[in-house]
Amino acid sequence: MQPETRMENAMMQECGARIAAIFARCSGEQPNFGVAEEAFSASLHKTAEKYLFAASDGSVTSEQLDSFLEQMQADDLFMALACANGNERAWWEFDQQHRGYMERVARHLAKTEADAQEVIDTVYVELYGTRVVDGERISKFSTYSGRGSLRGWLRTVIWHSLVDLHRAGHDEVSLDEMTETIGEGATHAAFAEISPDGEGEILEEITRDRYRKATVTAIKNAFSSLEDHEKLLLLYYHVDSLKLREIARLVENEASPLRGWFQRKTQTRETGGRTHESTVMRWLEKSYARVLELFKAELTGVHSFSADEINQCVELATQDLTAGNLFAGLKTG
Amino acid sequence: MNLQETTIQGILAEYLTSRAKATPSTPHLDHDTLAAFTEGNLSELETRPAVTHLVDCSFCRHIAAELVRLDLEFAEEPAARASTESAQPSKISEVLSGLLAKMFGTSENAVFAHEDKEKKEEEKKDEKED
Repeated sequence: MQPETRMENAMMQECGARIAAIFARCSGEQPNFGVAEEAFSASLHKTAEKYLFAASDGSVTSEQLDSFLEQMQADDLFMALACANGNERAWWEFDQQHRGYMERVARHLAKTEADAQEVIDTVYVELYGTRVVDGERISKFSTYSGRGSLRGWLRTVIWHSLVDLHRAGHDEVSLDEMTETIGEGATHAAFAEISPDGEGEILEEITRDRYRKATVTAIKNAFSSLEDHEKLLLLYYHVDSLKLREIARLVENEASPLRGWFQRKTQTRETGGRTHESTVMRWLEKSYARVLELFKAELTGVHSFSADEINQCVELATQDLTAGNLFAGLKTG
Repeated sequence: MNLQETTIQGILAEYLTSRAKATPSTPHLDHDTLAAFTEGNLSELETRPAVTHLVDCSFCRHIAAELVRLDLEFAEEPAARASTESAQPSKISEVLSGLLAKMFGTSENAVFAHEDKEKKEEEKKDEKED
């Protein structure tokens, strides 16, 4: 056994009383689900390994583990384990609590009622599991970890199932190809041909070309220098077209690390549960300001441009943006 | 925002939509991680690798964005309903048999592991009786 694994096991054993208490509560509420304490504990261990221990550099504190267990969706996990075991009572509860919701999600996503129904049927069959490995039926429920809510997980499963259904009807379009339509994979158009007329114009064009290249490199490097949560915010807003209220929803959970990172960055901490659209807008503006600062720093430091030249770069970029050819032809990886 | 900030916003937006696809250095996020991430249920330690992956992987980011939209769409949904104790549980195996029959034409080949042994024993009994 690896030393790290021994340490993880020891830590989980330390939390044994806490896990036993969670199990007692869950089985007290659902005594007919037939989930064994050992299986429940093993599942929590697996989840901790996947999320907590894998993300750490081997230094998980008992406070972190405590907080992790506290945030687990234990009731949902308890039901999922029972359903994975084929417990009739658990399935009935699951059906009562979630079927209506699943149908509404499927109808919202699918183009036709028939597609929605087909997806629900497929998901139910997958959840039960028709594949048997070493005499054991493999239920989709066994991939649910209890880290997020069961409903959130079901939404994801339904979404994927609909994508599969769509692919089946579109001559095996790969998922990668499907996502390429969102823009990032779009092919670059060629640079507009330059037809210089006279030496002055050639020199001018060379200068412009130099400014263009410097602008593109500087913007690329400025973006690369941002922290990952800032990059993600900008990508969500500009590439995936998430609206401000949708991003606000993503960080609505008060314990959301994304929200914490932005609040730390802007040195503000809002009280109350809701993150407003105006707050997200402020985060975006802070990110633009940071990009501008890094952009100017590179043009000054690396390219030795004067303030006037930087202004020319920005002006030229504005013209190119209007013409739609700022990044055309430049390979930016 | 001043004029330069407004311009940089436009330049940045153009760059982000036209930049070449990055190759993620980690495997795609699974259903479970995507769902927990979009709900904001992961801790700081757990979120960090997911965010790093999402920055590089347009595929996972696209799914996560769709899930955020869905989450907002269904935000008004009440929490899971409590069950009605008086109702009688229906046999889920019967429901699934029905689904399989609908999907594959027959449920005879469907695998219900916990029922297999019982079925085989019953078949043997029938054969003996014949």
